[in-house]
Amino acid sequence: MSRRDALSKALREVPIPVPEDSEARGLRVVETVYAERQRPRRRAFHPYRSKSSTAPSQREGGRPLRRTALALALTALIAVLMLSPAGASVRSWVDDVFTAATPKPEPTLGEIPGGGRLLVQSAAGPWVVHQDGSRRLLGDYEEATWSPRGLYVAVAKGRTLSAVEPNGTPHWSFTAPGRVSDQRWAPFGTRIAYRAGQALRVIAGDGTGDRTVAGESSPIAPAWSPLGDPTLAYVSGAGALRLVNSESLIDLATAPALDDVAEIEWAAGGKAILEASRGALRLREVQPRKLQPRPLIEATRPLPVPAGATVVDAALAPEQETVAAVVTNWRDHGTRSSVVLYRPGETKPRSLLTVPGSLGEIAWSPDGRRLLVAWPAVDQWLFLPLGRGLESAVANISRAFAPGNRSASFPRIEGWCCRR
Amino acid sequence: MAELYSLHWRRAYRAAYLVVHDAAAAEDIAQDAFLAAVDALDRFDRRRPFAPWLHRIVVNRALDWARREALRRQVDSAESVFEPLPPPEEVGSEMIAALKELPAEQRAVVVLRHLLEYTPGEIASMLDLPRGTVNSRLRRGLDRLRETAELDAVGEERR
Repeated sequence: MSRRDALSKALREVPIPVPEDSEARGLRVVETVYAERQRPRRRAFHPYRSKSSTAPSQREGGRPLRRTALALALTALIAVLMLSPAGASVRSWVDDVFTAATPKPEPTLGEIPGGGRLLVQSAAGPWVVHQDGSRRLLGDYEEATWSPRGLYVAVAKGRTLSAVEPNGTPHWSFTAPGRVSDQRWAPFGTRIAYRAGQALRVIAGDGTGDRTVAGESSPIAPAWSPLGDPTLAYVSGAGALRLVNSESLIDLATAPALDDVAEIEWAAGGKAILEASRGALRLREVQPRKLQPRPLIEATRPLPVPAGATVVDAALAPEQETVAAVVTNWRDHGTRSSVVLYRPGETKPRSLLTVPGSLGEIAWSPDGRRLLVAWPAVDQWLFLPLGRGLESAVANISRAFAPGNRSASFPRIEGWCCRR
Repeated sequence: MAELYSLHWRRAYRAAYLVVHDAAAAEDIAQDAFLAAVDALDRFDRRRPFAPWLHRIVVNRALDWARREALRRQVDSAESVFEPLPPPEEVGSEMIAALKELPAEQRAVVVLRHLLEYTPGEIASMLDLPRGTVNSRLRRGLDRLRETAELDAVGEERR
């Protein structure tokens, strides 16, 4: 045997790790996509294909095309709606309504505008979407959250909490005393707070040192102080907003939470906590104190929501107290949703976008310059740079996270990571 | 499609792994390459062999991944969320370890030449490189591999 042959033989035969079931898993995906691709090829007429497309997309199919057509038709209604008396009433509570036509959606998810990586929860489990648009399913987990810098993902399934790398490689798993939910990784990186049943617990980032912080908590994700200390905000079983030192387990402060509060988030700078319910938004001021370990919970600042409107989701910008929210109005002529921005020092909210139908959750880009908004009604994501209208829309989101499943449910955006 | 996949997946995966040295990434790359091939079937001249077309996609994606990963490791080196677990038991032989020490660009040409058995001219076309660059990367790669005991004689053949 020549030495070149010896090298070739070594390369062919040296044992390498092959993930279990990887060949079959890939075949299922490829066969599904191939079968999907065959369907539109039989279509005689394809009116909505992008002009820039040189070949039929693997993800194009009859249902998304109908959704695209619906999106375009609905978009055309926006100007009419906003000029109507009811539309004028929506304008009455904001000072700058942007209603430019929604751009033609991209048929598939490409590069993420502004960069970063997304964590997306589908019915099959969480996916990591890389900057170039490539995606990876982490496993059949039920909830997921990024570590502070996106090197790991804390995932939950049943009573198991695990830390995995963004490529799915598991690092550790821990069996909690109750069903795990609402896990949140601390900004300083070495603790994860989560709920196990009704209890609020904290575990170290290496899966050790699990402990109970509160015996009863409301089904809302806790919020870590952004100041690098172990202070944790949570809503108690009785509906109070409470601050606790997760190391010493000393209760630091308490105040009534918003009625039916559904979400809390601690603002960058540590001086406010956002509370959101279906009908209201407010910032609860917090005063960190240098000489004493106990911060003061102070007054609340309500953020105006129009009467009758429902808050669908709200999120704080990464480095300031600007709040972005999705609100939905039901009117005689149908549902409309707006993306609204509440900036510090501005008395009135600013509407960035209003569309027919219901919008879903909202996420800030890591640099705070863009928003990603889910539009499940038309199976799209909208990328919205602040102050520059609507940048792009991406269609066929459901199938992007469930290849081959034509009745896939719309996935949920869990996070957009990370500022370095 | 299943037949085509079964015929080519193992080599595609192995080529990707030997460039990126990450099983999960290699799985993704092999799968993505097949999906890209499916997406471009209309443009593919079916009189030509499928394997070189697929391997071109695999190795280029593997190179892209390896470059991104190298950059990410530089950027992320400061983060220490928790102590990483020790790496799994080293798989394979000194061969894998020696190959892993090569720059990704050299790994790619070594894999294309000695695993997938393309000529330097074909490799140049696949990677969109001058042939001289392919030859120099091969030479450097093999010189470094030769330093390992197991492959000591590999470079001598070329002399």
